[in-house]
Amino acid sequence: MATATSTDSAPGLGAESEWAVETHGLTKRFDNNVAVNDVELLVPRGCAFGYLGPNGAGKTTLIRVLLGLTHADAGTMFLLGHAVPRHRDVALARVGAIVDEPRFHGHLTGRQNLQILAAAREPAAKGRIGPALERVGILHRADDKVSKYSMGMRQRLGVAACLLGDPQLLILDEPMNGLDPAGMLDMRDMILSLVAEGRTVVLSSHLLDEVERTCDAVAIVDRGKVIRQGPISQLLAGSSFEVQVECSDPDRAGGLLLPTPFGAHVQAGPDGLAISLPEGTDRDAIAEINRLLVEGGISVFRLQHVQASLESWFLEVTKRLGEAE
Amino acid sequence: MTTITDVGAPGPAPTPIPAEPPGDHRGSWIPTWGMVSTRCMELRRRRGLMIALIAVNIGIPVVFLGVRLISHAVAPKSYGPAGGYSIFTTLVAGFMYVFGFVVAAVVGCTAGSVDLSEGMFRHLVITGRSRLALYFARIPAGLAIVIAMVAVGYTIVCAVCVFAAPTQLNYDGVNVPVGLSQPAFDSWAAAHADEVICNFNFHGGPGLNQPPPNVTCPGQQVGPAPGKSTVPGAESPAQIRAFAVTVANQDYADYHSQFLVPSSTLMVDVGLWIALEATIGFMVGLGLSSLMGQRTVAVILLIVLELILTPIFSRHIILHLLNVQRGIVGVAMAHIEPGGLPTPFGGGGGGGGGGDPLIPESTLASSLVIVGWIVFWTALGAWRMRTRDA
Repeated sequence: MATATSTDSAPGLGAESEWAVETHGLTKRFDNNVAVNDVELLVPRGCAFGYLGPNGAGKTTLIRVLLGLTHADAGTMFLLGHAVPRHRDVALARVGAIVDEPRFHGHLTGRQNLQILAAAREPAAKGRIGPALERVGILHRADDKVSKYSMGMRQRLGVAACLLGDPQLLILDEPMNGLDPAGMLDMRDMILSLVAEGRTVVLSSHLLDEVERTCDAVAIVDRGKVIRQGPISQLLAGSSFEVQVECSDPDRAGGLLLPTPFGAHVQAGPDGLAISLPEGTDRDAIAEINRLLVEGGISVFRLQHVQASLESWFLEVTKRLGEAE
Repeated sequence: MTTITDVGAPGPAPTPIPAEPPGDHRGSWIPTWGMVSTRCMELRRRRGLMIALIAVNIGIPVVFLGVRLISHAVAPKSYGPAGGYSIFTTLVAGFMYVFGFVVAAVVGCTAGSVDLSEGMFRHLVITGRSRLALYFARIPAGLAIVIAMVAVGYTIVCAVCVFAAPTQLNYDGVNVPVGLSQPAFDSWAAAHADEVICNFNFHGGPGLNQPPPNVTCPGQQVGPAPGKSTVPGAESPAQIRAFAVTVANQDYADYHSQFLVPSSTLMVDVGLWIALEATIGFMVGLGLSSLMGQRTVAVILLIVLELILTPIFSRHIILHLLNVQRGIVGVAMAHIEPGGLPTPFGGGGGGGGGGDPLIPESTLASSLVIVGWIVFWTALGAWRMRTRDA
């Protein structure tokens, strides 16, 4: 079995790396189950990055490997340019993370729990406890015992714990879990504000809608392997899309398009046509549809290009993978 | 299947955030003072644990001595003084030693397992702090609590035993001045010949097995109590005094070992001995629970070790297991018990007498066993802490 290695990099060079997270061939096995499979991941600095995958895809395991909570079986990885696990102390000094459900000592207050965590960080971390509690909106409950906190408050306390180290990189595993709609909105705003400060936020989630609203780039993981990664706009640009056509005679318009390559994808409705175009279709196809309709004597009132959502794209990609196997 | 690797241009550099904290040695295995103090705070805030700790280490001795103080104050003729040497030795060797270990073990098991069971271990590992430092921070934090509790309880016991001690030594039912030299003891015996002859133990001797003298003992017409001294031949006052001196000479060694109050040296020695026992309990509990990752089973195992296995193995020689018996830390601790105390787990031995003797073991071997237990369990717990998945 190959052993996880870390390239010898000086700990002080981290700030020069352009990647917040960088992995090559990262693999983690549990007996015969490959939870993280030869993962090549590049997370650029200063963005919100979504790490998406269905349940059991290996999202949390990858995060646990990155943070040194469990050992990798093979591959190399870097956090903020520092090789881990070799320089994990330096790398993690500027990393904050929530992994799984955030749990704390229930008999202590939120503030006391943060005091324990701050003591394990640099001396300045103690001075960040108050601001961190205020930022996540639980300063008024900071002196209540954690056993009396709701799930959402524990999530917020978990984020406050992340902020103690003044992190350059935050890794949040399902941070929306347990939050009500207002809490999710707050969390989204907080993530965006953290990114605006120049921090990198890696967001692991299966809430695709939230990720689409929050993140700049994503990676899709399935069965332990990263199958797509890149900026959301770029990924979706190459995906299938829909053209909605508002015209004078939808039925006749549908008939006109039937013998063309678009015919198989046309759906006629009372107000017009909906034409689903497969992944890789050129934008010129929209002009071609327009030309066919106009030449057929149909009055076209509106042609609208509707991009697929991240959710539909994700389902499309993962479904296709399932069919391929 | 294709993978898009062009993830676009990196975002703006996070200029206001320093790359790493200056002078932060979080890779070091040495814990910071802040880690120790917050860990101590975490343990102190466990109300149930602290109540149990105070109840056993302080509450029970206080109640026991308090009842004796009140009883003696209300009916001094029926109830003896609350303190004194014998109460000290009984309380220390019979109770504080054994239950000090158990309570310390419970604290150790708690310190070693709660981060894991309550989900804080993961948060702590993510700070990048050395896992060894996280483990070693628990040792001074836990010991500060355990030793402080033991010290408070022990100080109360010492104070009562010294300040509420009897004013006269009651030796074989006779009030005898304390600390007499042998000539002074002989003189005192000659002056109290009847009491000595009637009450002190007489072990016989050449020419001293004659019929009893005409000494009137309480509850008897003539002569000493059954099993007590017998005076040879005719008994003039001078002969009776001489016989009393002879009996006193035989008993002087035993008398000399009797004290009204424990000496300062003994109290210091016993205090250190109890503190060492509590330290062992804590360290073994910490290591064992870190190894197992949970508290309950570790606590049960240590209670079984202290209350069942150690008393059995300390007194009953099993030939094929003799070296295993010697390797039990409770047996080793019994061997280095300060003189003057009855052996722990009941009976005599150590400084006392009677009962089955302890299995033989040299002081050096005992010391090595004690050090070995502390080092072994600490190393095992630290190793598991380093290698455990968080």
